[in-house]
Amino acid sequence: MPSEGKSRIQVLQGTLDLIVLRTLRSLGPQHAYGIAARLEQVSGDLLKLNQGTLYPALVRLEQQGWIKGKWDTTENGREAKYYAITKAGLKALGEETQRWRQLSGLVEKLLGEES
Amino acid sequence: MRHCRRLFAKLKNLFRRGHAEHELTREVAAHLRLLEDEFQRRGMSLDEARIEARRAYGGVEQAKQLQRDERSILWVEQTFADLRFACRSLLKTPGFTTVAVLTLALGIGANIAIFTVVNAVLLRPLPFQHPERLVRVLDDLKGAGAKDVGMSVPELEDLRDRSGVFDDISVIWPVSTALSGGDHAERIELLGTGFDYFQILGAQAALGRVYGPRDAAPGFSEAVVISDGLWKRQFGGDPRILGRRIRVDEDGYTIVGVMPPDFRHPGQTLAGDVELWSAAGFVANPFPTPPVRAKRFLPGAIARLKPGLTVEQAQQHLDALAAQLAQTYPKEYPAASRWSLRLEPVEQNLTASVRPTLVLLLAAVGFVLLMVSVNMASLLAARSSARMRELAIRQALGASRARLVRQLLTESVLVSLAGGLAAMLVLALTKGSLLALMPADLPRLTEVHFDERIVGLACLLSLFTGVLFGFTPAIHASAADPNRDLKEGSRNGSPSLRQNRFRGALVAIEVALSVVLLSGAGLLVHSFWNTLRVNPGFDPKGLMVARIWIPNPNDPAMNRYQTAPPIAGLSREILRRVRTLPGIEEAAMGGDNSVPLVYNSLGQTAFSLPDQSDSSRKERSAEYTAVSPEFFQVLRTPVLRGRSFSEADTDKTKKVVVVNESFAKQYLSGHDVGQRINFFGVDREIVGVVADVRDDGLDSPPVPRVYRALYQVPNNEIAVFLRGASDSAGLKQAVTRIVQAVDPELPVYGVRAMPEMMAASLARRRFSLSLMAVFGALALFLASLGIYGVMAYAVSQRAQEFSIRMALGALPRDILLIALRPGAKLTLVGVLVGLMAAQGTTRLMASLLFNVSPADPVTLIGVPIALAAVALLACWIPARRAVRIPPVAALRS
Repeated sequence: MPSEGKSRIQVLQGTLDLIVLRTLRSLGPQHAYGIAARLEQVSGDLLKLNQGTLYPALVRLEQQGWIKGKWDTTENGREAKYYAITKAGLKALGEETQRWRQLSGLVEKLLGEES
Repeated sequence: MRHCRRLFAKLKNLFRRGHAEHELTREVAAHLRLLEDEFQRRGMSLDEARIEARRAYGGVEQAKQLQRDERSILWVEQTFADLRFACRSLLKTPGFTTVAVLTLALGIGANIAIFTVVNAVLLRPLPFQHPERLVRVLDDLKGAGAKDVGMSVPELEDLRDRSGVFDDISVIWPVSTALSGGDHAERIELLGTGFDYFQILGAQAALGRVYGPRDAAPGFSEAVVISDGLWKRQFGGDPRILGRRIRVDEDGYTIVGVMPPDFRHPGQTLAGDVELWSAAGFVANPFPTPPVRAKRFLPGAIARLKPGLTVEQAQQHLDALAAQLAQTYPKEYPAASRWSLRLEPVEQNLTASVRPTLVLLLAAVGFVLLMVSVNMASLLAARSSARMRELAIRQALGASRARLVRQLLTESVLVSLAGGLAAMLVLALTKGSLLALMPADLPRLTEVHFDERIVGLACLLSLFTGVLFGFTPAIHASAADPNRDLKEGSRNGSPSLRQNRFRGALVAIEVALSVVLLSGAGLLVHSFWNTLRVNPGFDPKGLMVARIWIPNPNDPAMNRYQTAPPIAGLSREILRRVRTLPGIEEAAMGGDNSVPLVYNSLGQTAFSLPDQSDSSRKERSAEYTAVSPEFFQVLRTPVLRGRSFSEADTDKTKKVVVVNESFAKQYLSGHDVGQRINFFGVDREIVGVVADVRDDGLDSPPVPRVYRALYQVPNNEIAVFLRGASDSAGLKQAVTRIVQAVDPELPVYGVRAMPEMMAASLARRRFSLSLMAVFGALALFLASLGIYGVMAYAVSQRAQEFSIRMALGALPRDILLIALRPGAKLTLVGVLVGLMAAQGTTRLMASLLFNVSPADPVTLIGVPIALAAVALLACWIPARRAVRIPPVAALRS
């Protein structure tokens, strides 16, 4: 696997996980399509992602025990796997959000000094 | 915590691949369905919505793969996949797989077998506490060129009390002895030691106790220890053995302990494992009293160095001690004799003689494995060129090169492990018969075991071999260029030239390696041939030896054979009776040290010639023995000058000796017969000179030797030489009957045919020779197989070319030459490289050669010729096929 691609995913990874958790907390249990649609809706054209790229994040979060997937039917009668945030997920979201704020604050500060 | 949890989930997915995969497919399908619904809701047709949904989703397969990578442990999953694939593809080509596994099993098995022996004999420490501190102490007379001349009691005491380097030191003195008590006396192997012997080794008895300092006595102590073997054989493993009285050489002793079955004396013995240990102070009967410094009757010593002292440091201390003693006792240590003390680690002393052989064999099997690897690499290259299309397709589908290499390596390692497993199975099943092939006199042979460490090593070796031979072909094969190879391969599956060139290089390497191996084998064959051509100095055909032990009681007053006359009477009587045995034509006798090719603890002794002053006395040394008048005639050893002994030479007449040719040449320069020498403090006259007898083996140079008249000197060991007998078992009974009719206390032992003893003395040489020959033949076979493979392939590739040439008028002979050329070139290159390499490697085996130089022209010319002949044959068979193809058939195909 080429290393350059790997590092790009690594950077995305943390933020994507955080975003997915946050989305699930505000929307309640949601399927992958729902999460993707919400992300597009919120970000507009800023965050253009293939919906398939959500899957690694979902697997990761589920394996960490932060979300839990369950098969259900949509209001249109289609089957879909709904992911719900767990108690551990809520706790993690708090911590991760805190960390993200610290980090972005720091980056912001540094960038501010530069200019 | 969360990492643990993830790892667990991943592991679970490894084993529930099907479930996870099913879930994923279902989820992706559901996701796409929702997207389609959405696009249809926005007014698209079903088909449009389907396409748009896929666009929005991105690559389905890529997404799935990303999810798979995330959910499971990727490399493990891939390895499983590779293994499954490798198994399938190997099973699809059973011919290749069988050949590969068999050659690998051969290569790995040979390595494991030899290494098991090397490990037990050379690498594993001796089974004693702190074996690195165990040393042998040897006395040399450097001035006289005599090594290991033995030591005297005062010297031993100086070593113990004044050297300051030993914790303990003990005499070790292997002797024969007569154990009586059963229906007849039996000769057993006894080790005379000091009281510290077991303490030095740190050995404990399995039953009872070992003797120690508290048993100390000036002469032999009452307490003796027996071996497990003697306990079982002689005493039926009786658990109440302790305290049992036994009679040894007519003296009474008490058994205080039985050693464990695996305890072995770490040193040379006379004729087998030590069966009885007996301790003495060596300063009272039967030893000479009072002790005299110049009487070096103790054959050797073993000692334990003080902790923290290296052998080199201790040696320096001993050098100083020797110098100091030489100053204090100038008469006993004349400067010219250069008496010195030498330390040798016990382990080295025990195994030094076999080290070169074992190292050579280890190197040889290493070479064999290398050849097997090269052969496998060549086979794999051929295999992967047949799979060029498959690999090109894989690459076109996005497999990275590293991934392809990994997959190919998995296959080669799998084959290699299968080979290793087969080798282990065969070795485990044939262990007994393999051990029986080893020369029986190999030290520490009983310690050769097949344990889990060897199994681990076999696995490692297989793994290593698999990577070794699989790597280069894998790199080569993975360099497939889909664009080119799919095209090239599409015609008729013909691989590139590059592949064939690689195989050619491998073949050249194989030829070179086999030249090296065959040169080694050739040198050993030539040495063996030279050994067989050596004149032993006697005629072994039809000659049998039986040995008689004359007990040597501790109290001289009890010794019925203390002086020469009773022994002479006994000898004459036994000789007279054995001559009447059916079939016996002639019979003779000899004393201690008279049987050729048998180890004796007696070394050399110094003597003087009357015209030399006493100061240079110890510069001369010779081996000594005693023989009866008929000895030289019965052994067919020519008397060169003067006469042999006669019945008239008795203890009443003047003492006479016969010397061998080496003695005459080295010390007497011309006027030998009639010369007088002083030997053991007695003046003796040289009455004859006889031809040299190779006493220490055919490949050991003869040493100056003095024969005394048997009827003039007392001996404890009598050997009867019989010409005409054929069956050793029958002879043993007959001789035993005769001897014990004369004296029932005398055990008869060591009844053997001389030709058999000569064969046994060559056992090690024959062993290394046969193994090397087998390895050499194997190498030759592998090389010819490799050449044949490459040539057959090359010819089949060029069938069309040859047909065109023939259609245009080329003669079969021309085609044959063209077809032969590449193979001949490879062979030539291989032979040249191999010869250069052999120059270096054969030099390392110089100590194993006999009358052959490492640059032996016979070997270094013969081996390439033999190899070239085989190689050309391997080339010729496919080349001839090329000529036979009808041009039309080849052109149409």
